[in-house]
Amino acid sequence: MATVQVSEAEKVYILHGIRDDLRVDGRGCEDYRHMETETDVVSNTDGSAKVTLGHTAVLVGIKAEIRKPRPMLPDEGYLEFFVDCSANATPEFEGRGGEELGTELSNTLYKVFNNKHSVDLKSLCISAGEHCWVLYVDVLLLQCDGNLYDAISIAIKAALFNTKIPRVHISTDDEGGKEIELSDDPFDCMRLNVENVPCIVTLCKVGHRHVVDATLQEKACSVASLIISVTHKGTVTCLRKVGGGSLDPESIFEMTEAGKRVGKALHTPLMNLLKQEESLGKTRQKVGFLG
Amino acid sequence: MPTDTKRVRGPEVSQSPSVFQCKPAAALPSCGVRADGRQRDQLDVRPVFVRCGLVSQAKGSAYIEAGNTKLMCCVYGPRETKRKDETDMKCGRLTADMRFAPFSCPERGSWIQSSQDKDFSLMLLESLQPAVCLHKYPRSQIEVNVMVLENSGSVLAHAITCASLALADAGIEMYDLVLGCSIRQDGASYVVDPTYVEENSCGSASEENQGGLTVAFLPSLNQISGLQSDGEMTKESLTDGIRTCIEGCYKLYPVVQQALAKAVRKAAPPPSES
Repeated sequence: MATVQVSEAEKVYILHGIRDDLRVDGRGCEDYRHMETETDVVSNTDGSAKVTLGHTAVLVGIKAEIRKPRPMLPDEGYLEFFVDCSANATPEFEGRGGEELGTELSNTLYKVFNNKHSVDLKSLCISAGEHCWVLYVDVLLLQCDGNLYDAISIAIKAALFNTKIPRVHISTDDEGGKEIELSDDPFDCMRLNVENVPCIVTLCKVGHRHVVDATLQEKACSVASLIISVTHKGTVTCLRKVGGGSLDPESIFEMTEAGKRVGKALHTPLMNLLKQEESLGKTRQKVGFLG
Repeated sequence: MPTDTKRVRGPEVSQSPSVFQCKPAAALPSCGVRADGRQRDQLDVRPVFVRCGLVSQAKGSAYIEAGNTKLMCCVYGPRETKRKDETDMKCGRLTADMRFAPFSCPERGSWIQSSQDKDFSLMLLESLQPAVCLHKYPRSQIEVNVMVLENSGSVLAHAITCASLALADAGIEMYDLVLGCSIRQDGASYVVDPTYVEENSCGSASEENQGGLTVAFLPSLNQISGLQSDGEMTKESLTDGIRTCIEGCYKLYPVVQQALAKAVRKAAPPPSES
């Protein structure tokens, strides 16, 4: 992760502030920074979203392609994640520098979505054993100011909500082979149900307390963080400790409780916002990348 | 995707014959005794065999066998960091690498590290780092290499135990041994130290509350140094699962200590007769 150098005096200052539930920018320990979400920003994709969380900016594009399903699961489609840490974000990511971080992020995303209920994979099947939809979820980090996991998960949820998969139907031609036909109407498409898509909450252990949505300075003062991915019902799909320090079991239980609470509270406003944005339809003012 | 141009590989379209099985593998029942006779919902781990000091070239090494899971670990170091720009003046660097032999899993794997291998290596590194006194080895690098010879379930948990044993065998100063334990939650019941089949069973009748959890624990200090879960579980089953894994680590501790003491005694010179 891009790091900043923090002096000892600054570390003590941040630590004491967090102990009194007051962070450097005035937030409480469980408050997020200002978050902006916008969908349908890239026209060449089947679904896209851009999320800005403080100074962290993440762009997700989803493309749907038709492929052969996995041999062990012939009646399901699947998702493929790829995270690219662009050199725009920090000079550390130049060349292959961002590869390690990108692999770590995409591996965690695979774990988060590795269950039956997050995305209805059976609806992505076209014909069992032969054709299925594969959703390539490509994440691009534009700016990096801490808390990448949260921003990425919200962007993926928004992009999946925005995804429009064209309807196809299979017809048998004369020789008995199967032909795929795309429907002529460009607006005839299938939407995904993203109610169960989880959101990731990162909790950093700073001193004896934990903070949500840590900035880079706060991250430099913490030894370990806990990543918890929560659905709107409160089920935890992934729990993972990152960082080179160790945690007390009691603090892990506390942080899991807090993460579940914060994560659950994220879903309703996000879904409302997405539905509202969708309902504006053609009258929506697209903000895009400037302004 | 990086391709391996040095080795002659088998045809890419080859598939394992298990794909063509007539009957799909029956989902394991979620109640009753497990396939190998152990109990559900109880701390029933497989008996563990550990030995240290197997590889003569390595500074420290360890081999662990639990049921059919076999893995070995070698530790090299502390030695000078290979790349000068990665030298840290104040503390040492620990690198961990976990690889699966292609014949270790039921489906043939490849020698190129897949992203799952990298994920395991990262998890191994994060679990071992809090335990090693890196500040005592400035400007040095300690390398931990784990090779999985046979994967029969809870391979990450045993890799963590094996790696900390190898580090101890190499004489690297540590705060405590790191022990790993994993469970698999299946509906309302859980199984400790799951086998490969139990880990990958595609789900039984109950659709909710399915997942796996691996915990790396430092017993003397009561600290969790590694934690990873996937699937979907309720928070209560997660907290209970973490507690169960901690108990499993406490149960494993005396076995590991005994193996280490045995290896030290063997390496020490015999007491003089006078």
